[in-house]
Amino acid sequence: MKEHTDHQPILQAIGVTKRFGGLVAVGDLDLTIMPNQIASVIGPNGAGKTTFFNCVSGFYTPEEGEIRFLGHPIQGLRPDQVTARGIARTYQNIHLFKGMTVLENVLVGVHANLRSTPLGALLRLPINNQEEETALARAYELLEFVGLADVADILATNLPYGSQRRLEIARALASNPRLLLLDEPTAGMNPQETEDTMHFIRRLRDERDLTVLLIEHDMSVVMNISDQVTVLDYGRKISEGTPEYVQNDPLVIEAYLGTAADKVDVDLLAS
Amino acid sequence: MLQTRIRQFITSVREGISAGFISGILVIFLILLGIPINLRDIALFVILLVPVIFGVRLARRLHGRGLFHLLRNALVLGLVAALLAYLLMALINRWQEHGVNVTNYFPSVTTDTMTLLSGVPASELFPNPPRDPLTGQYPEGKPLRANPMRLTFDEKTGLEVLGVNVVIGGFYGFLLALIVTGVAGALLGWVFLAARAGQRWKAARAYLSTSPAAHNGVLLLPLAFFALLWLTVGHGLYNASKATYSVLDPVINLGGSAQEVQLLIGFGIILWGLVAVRAAQPNDKGLSYPARLGVCLALIALLIAVGLWRVMGSNIYFVATSRALRGSETLSVLILLAVGLLLVVQNARALRTPGRFEAQFASTQALLVVLLMPLFLNQGQNDVMTIVGINIMLGLGLNIVVGYAGLLDLGYVAFFALGAYAYAFLSSNQIKTGPDGQPAGLKFAGNDEMVIKLAGWIPITVIVTLLVVLVGVRWWQRRNADHRPWTYRPPLIRFPSHPSNGFATLLTVIAIALSVIVASALEGTALYERLFHSASPFVIGIIVGIIAGMLSGIMLGIPVLRLRGDYLAIVTLGFGEIIRLLFTNLRDYTGGPQGVLEIPRPLPAGATGPVGYLWMVYLVLLGVGIIAFFSTRLKQSRIGRAWSAMKSDEDIAQSMGINLVQTKLTAFAIGAAFAGLGGVLFAARQRNIYPNDFRLDVSIEVLSLVIIGGMGSIPGVIMGAIALIGVPEVLRELATYRILVFGALLVAMVILRPEGLLPAPTAQLRERARALVQSRYQAGGGD
Ligand SMILES: Nc1ncnc2c1ncn2[C@@H]1O[C@H](COP(=O)(O)OP(=O)(O)OP(=O)(O)O)[C@@H](O)[C@H]1O
Ligand SMILES: [Mg+2]
Repeated sequence: MKEHTDHQPILQAIGVTKRFGGLVAVGDLDLTIMPNQIASVIGPNGAGKTTFFNCVSGFYTPEEGEIRFLGHPIQGLRPDQVTARGIARTYQNIHLFKGMTVLENVLVGVHANLRSTPLGALLRLPINNQEEETALARAYELLEFVGLADVADILATNLPYGSQRRLEIARALASNPRLLLLDEPTAGMNPQETEDTMHFIRRLRDERDLTVLLIEHDMSVVMNISDQVTVLDYGRKISEGTPEYVQNDPLVIEAYLGTAADKVDVDLLAS
Repeated sequence: MLQTRIRQFITSVREGISAGFISGILVIFLILLGIPINLRDIALFVILLVPVIFGVRLARRLHGRGLFHLLRNALVLGLVAALLAYLLMALINRWQEHGVNVTNYFPSVTTDTMTLLSGVPASELFPNPPRDPLTGQYPEGKPLRANPMRLTFDEKTGLEVLGVNVVIGGFYGFLLALIVTGVAGALLGWVFLAARAGQRWKAARAYLSTSPAAHNGVLLLPLAFFALLWLTVGHGLYNASKATYSVLDPVINLGGSAQEVQLLIGFGIILWGLVAVRAAQPNDKGLSYPARLGVCLALIALLIAVGLWRVMGSNIYFVATSRALRGSETLSVLILLAVGLLLVVQNARALRTPGRFEAQFASTQALLVVLLMPLFLNQGQNDVMTIVGINIMLGLGLNIVVGYAGLLDLGYVAFFALGAYAYAFLSSNQIKTGPDGQPAGLKFAGNDEMVIKLAGWIPITVIVTLLVVLVGVRWWQRRNADHRPWTYRPPLIRFPSHPSNGFATLLTVIAIALSVIVASALEGTALYERLFHSASPFVIGIIVGIIAGMLSGIMLGIPVLRLRGDYLAIVTLGFGEIIRLLFTNLRDYTGGPQGVLEIPRPLPAGATGPVGYLWMVYLVLLGVGIIAFFSTRLKQSRIGRAWSAMKSDEDIAQSMGINLVQTKLTAFAIGAAFAGLGGVLFAARQRNIYPNDFRLDVSIEVLSLVIIGGMGSIPGVIMGAIALIGVPEVLRELATYRILVFGALLVAMVILRPEGLLPAPTAQLRERARALVQSRYQAGGGD
């Protein structure tokens, strides 16, 4: 097996197409993401951003095209297999596990890294105990990292909204991924929280050696932290490049002005 | 003018009208469905409770609108309820007059019901006497049946409410009682509210949970209940000088109701044991290690001494050997001492950790008290405990499938049946004879040979499989030592690497093939017969029952992997019925509806005396203990968290890296294995089993007890089993209405306390996690 190097893209989509009946949710999408980058996917509502995430994380199998992770095809794998290979994600609508505490939610995230079997759990061999302790420590450290260690023992669904989003990120990080997919991490946050989240995402990349791919509607965030921006419209890529380049692309401006101008801050685009 | 007044009046009593309407409907339902008639008092009590409850509710809703307003509404409530009941009776009367026998349509509306409600003797009530076939007339021209609607004022027909004769009787009297109780309920509620009883109750509860005295009381309650039981039982006394036994009178003589009351105390012991364990806090009460240990040792010594007295003083033994068929005193005593010793060692070790004192005290106490309880109960009572225990096992098994993994399984009884039949096949002494009087079909008693075969085959398979797996995995690991998959990331813990799926399958096939070869090669030799000749069918039955349950759990699990919610429930329900129908219809193999008879107890043949039932109870207790222990360990492990996540959201759980197929099948297999074990014990207890023992009702009952007790909570399941199985066994009269009560309880629970009677507490892992992180940080030299 060849080792991946920094020149090799971490994620590569080649001609990915996903249809729902007659609707082409993602059409012939090419996308390349290099390691240690923060890449953004933007586009109007219904552009197919979440659908693309679902294709990468294994919820959908694209009808055409190929998705490569570290050079290996991953389309058609089950979500748990994709996670085991090193991709983790969060959701546009928060999906925390009900009835489990904050700490337990993160522990579920560690699952993919653990090896204990039910028999091991019954016998509690030293190696199982050791693993369990390591998992607990890792989960707690992650909670400290996202600033939720103090509320580790309360039910996850009782957290305020912003904390729930951070918890989702901690849970995703728990599987020790190479690539983190964030679906609108700042949705529903106030400006201060948005600011914090932005720093947080940078810290993720810098301190944890992660590649981050995010979907975002808040243009100030996108323009601020992205190394690369991809714009989708009706499932197709209409522009790609640095934030400055994309901002000034007439096609992008038209796509935004021509469609849901209510959700996207047009002034910001122009500035 | 008048119209507006009427309208005003109606608006002002609207609450009363609607409450009256609902309570009237409820009363009608109670009459039509059949109230527990054989308990006359309770029947009337239940019916009259309806307006009382609604009266109290009215008081709560109309709080602050004045007493007069409330009373007016309450009066209307009673009137409306009475009116509805009157209409029902009028309808019944009309039908009767037209020659329609109401009891044909509502079998529960017996003459008893009407007698109870009206006071008219049964002989004067419907059904009508037969008509004269020639004239088509009733004898003497009119039906003999009396109209039950009348009002009387005499002791004979007067209503008895809770044993008090109120002299007013007849059906109108009953209606009057409805009205009076409605108003009385409202008054009661008003007084309750006026006295701020709610707040006082809250304060009392707060006091209970904060005051140290109350807390200690709760911790000691199991012991208190045990003492109560002890006082109600007559103890034996050995007179050494005369070498005779005598039985002392119990300190508290319960007389005729001893059977029931002692059982209820027994349930109390179990319940308070659970509550005490749960109430324990990380608290050492300021005691030093020797003092803590001393207290616990004293407790153990006391309880073991009580047990020894019972065993030696009253000749109550719980182990028998083929030499000592009435039970062996020496062995019983030794086992008790061994249990005590084990507990001493365990306590000495555990108490070293600060903060463990209360928990240790409570759990040691609960364990010992529950272990000793059967010694003080008689055969019938122990039988009830056995049934409750088997249901707890089933509940704990289903709790894994439904409570932990969230897979609604309505065919759970199938695994129970498979376990029971597995033991029955292997052990039954029944010989089925054909029409010619010769043994025909399946000769269960002839399965001795099969038992011997299995007894040899099981260890051979285990040994061969272990060898094959060990050698195979070693070889694979050596070959793949340097192999790193492209996804390689440093693991949390360096586990020995797992063989790939293909290699694992290959190993399995090799293991099975090899063990078959080895087993068949050995079978020809005399070694087999000599070694396993006296194999116990019970032990083999347990192993086979568990394996049968597990395999069928996986077999059911595979086709339903993709189903969720209602669909899963329906398919599993079908599976349960299929298994039962198979057992019913494969007559030649299973004995058909006549079932399998003469299943031996797990005791030496010919064992008599208390050991017969005590041994069973202790086996069930052991089974419950093992299953509860396994459940807790699984719950707190990787697989337990995976179940929990899957229960909450399958898709998200999968994208967290959880393999749904494995996780679901594990849940099905483990739950089914527990049911299989329960089935074996059930067959051993019943001695005869029939396919009808494994109807859908059993699945529903077990599911109800899990839901009512608290999904995912082990104490909850135990409590649910006591409430739904144990208590109806004690109050035999109510058993007929069990299903009705289940339904009502389920609805009430879903509305009032959806998490169950004793829900599982949320895991508190933070302190431990923080300590771990800190110790790691220090060990790592603060890097
Ligand atoms: N499971 C599905 N079945 C059918 N159509 C779907 C499905 N999922 C998404 N779609 C459609 O595909 C299109 C793309 O949806 P998607 O959720 O990917 O948009 P998005 O870019 O994430 O939008 P938003 O900004 O609102 O999140 C939409 O028109 C949507 O209605
Ligand atoms: Mg989306």
